[in-house]
Amino acid sequence: MKDMREKITSNEALLGVNAIEVLATEWVARLDRCEPDSRESAELEQWLAQDARHAGAFLRAQAMWKSLDRVQILHRPGGDSVPLAWYQTVSRRAMLRNAAIAGGAGLAAAAAAGIAFLRTGQNQIATPVGEIRRVPLLDGSLAAVNTDSELIIDFKSDLREVTLQKGEVWFDVAKDRKRPFVVTTGDVRVRAVGTAFSVRKREDGADVLVTEGVVETWSAGGESEKRLVMAGSRVFVSDIAGPSGVVPASAQIDRTLAWREGEIALDGETLTDAAAEFNRYNERKLTVDPSLTNERLVGWFHTNEPDTFARAAATVLKLKVTETAEEIHLAPDFVQGQ
Amino acid sequence: MAPRDRDAFVEWVGRCVLPWENYVRGWLRRASVRAAEIDDIVQEAYSRIARLDDFHHISNPKAYFLEVTRNVLFEQLRRSQIIRIDTIAEMDGPIIPDESPDQERVLIGKDEIARLKRLIDGLPDRCRTMFVMRKVEGLSQRQIAERLGVSENTVETQVGRGLRLILGAWTNETNERHARKDNQQRSIARRKRD
Repeated sequence: MKDMREKITSNEALLGVNAIEVLATEWVARLDRCEPDSRESAELEQWLAQDARHAGAFLRAQAMWKSLDRVQILHRPGGDSVPLAWYQTVSRRAMLRNAAIAGGAGLAAAAAAGIAFLRTGQNQIATPVGEIRRVPLLDGSLAAVNTDSELIIDFKSDLREVTLQKGEVWFDVAKDRKRPFVVTTGDVRVRAVGTAFSVRKREDGADVLVTEGVVETWSAGGESEKRLVMAGSRVFVSDIAGPSGVVPASAQIDRTLAWREGEIALDGETLTDAAAEFNRYNERKLTVDPSLTNERLVGWFHTNEPDTFARAAATVLKLKVTETAEEIHLAPDFVQGQ
Repeated sequence: MAPRDRDAFVEWVGRCVLPWENYVRGWLRRASVRAAEIDDIVQEAYSRIARLDDFHHISNPKAYFLEVTRNVLFEQLRRSQIIRIDTIAEMDGPIIPDESPDQERVLIGKDEIARLKRLIDGLPDRCRTMFVMRKVEGLSQRQIAERLGVSENTVETQVGRGLRLILGAWTNETNERHARKDNQQRSIARRKRD
């Protein structure tokens, strides 16, 4: 019984129903039962006065309730029984079941495609600028490969080894205690058993971001200085000096990994940093006048739409956009700005 | 507002404002406002409409609803320290839409009954039975309780729950429809660029 109630509650939570709406609909049902007496009216007045949002939720609930009167025309006049069609609608449970079956078939197809993709032990994956690719691996893991990246996947009987030559990858690693999953990039090593994490190669090391589970990281020759990184944190691992301090970053992680959905999420980045981020994904480069270093921006954009970003930035910061085939340049607009 | 005026007002909101909620939510989505914030903004817009003394002077409820919502959004943007520039990007153009509500209202009227029926159809069995008795057959909560042999409290609870689920589905339906539309537009935009 308790389970069922919890299930219902979570389903309703999915529909985005908030607490105020619950109270508002309860009031509508209560007033529909019978005319309110003076005590109830006072209670309603008090509830409405409590919070400015109550009146809005109550009005919306009442308006929907009133609108529903219009279905009365579906009732045949004179007939005293409810039209049968009302009781013969497909139950929601059956609909969900059907949807689940359809979804399962899709997954099976994807898995089959993945096996075809990586039949042999060793594979190279490369993405050109602007491409983001999801690759299911032979062991059931998933790799999301960001723009302009190269990696070699080498699965042996006792070790799953991935070498990141350039760029960035996020892995959702399938559990297999007998075969550790190790990512090598430069001198940096990252080891996971069953975990989700990303590795981005930098000039002198790599950024490691853990979204699930735990990884172990070190740099070659520094095996005695291994460091554990937990879900919701990030670390920079230097080729020479090994891992630096682990930084908690759970709020940042979704944003930093927005590229997996083809998006760039800005949260207070400077205009210059934002441009550099877009330039990872596009041959047509965004350039920023050096005088514009202090402006900080927030927003979500598509990785392949630097032009939309440039126009938005220009509107807010009163800039001039100059577009050529090779670049989009942002500079102060002295006419508009003064 | 006197009780009779309140009834007329609620009827007006149900007939002229509520049907445009999906349009307003779509506009907020296009302005890149996030889903959780959209719910808050829409709720605040209804609160402001609830404060109206009179509604008879509002000739274009669609434009009015959008105007109120836009004011709520702008006030929030002005209060925030860092400017969300993707939101601004979408507001660059003309905002108040076409002024031909009559044709659209006719279309909405036709769709509306089917849409409301679909919302009731989507309810869990017990809830749906009571809703049909209340809204289609026009029975009172007490009559429903007598006919089904349950307490009036049970009927009241189910009626409240059903209304809540319908409002939730109303929000969701509009969000999903716009998500599909956005995706279509996005793929069209991509194709053009190729």
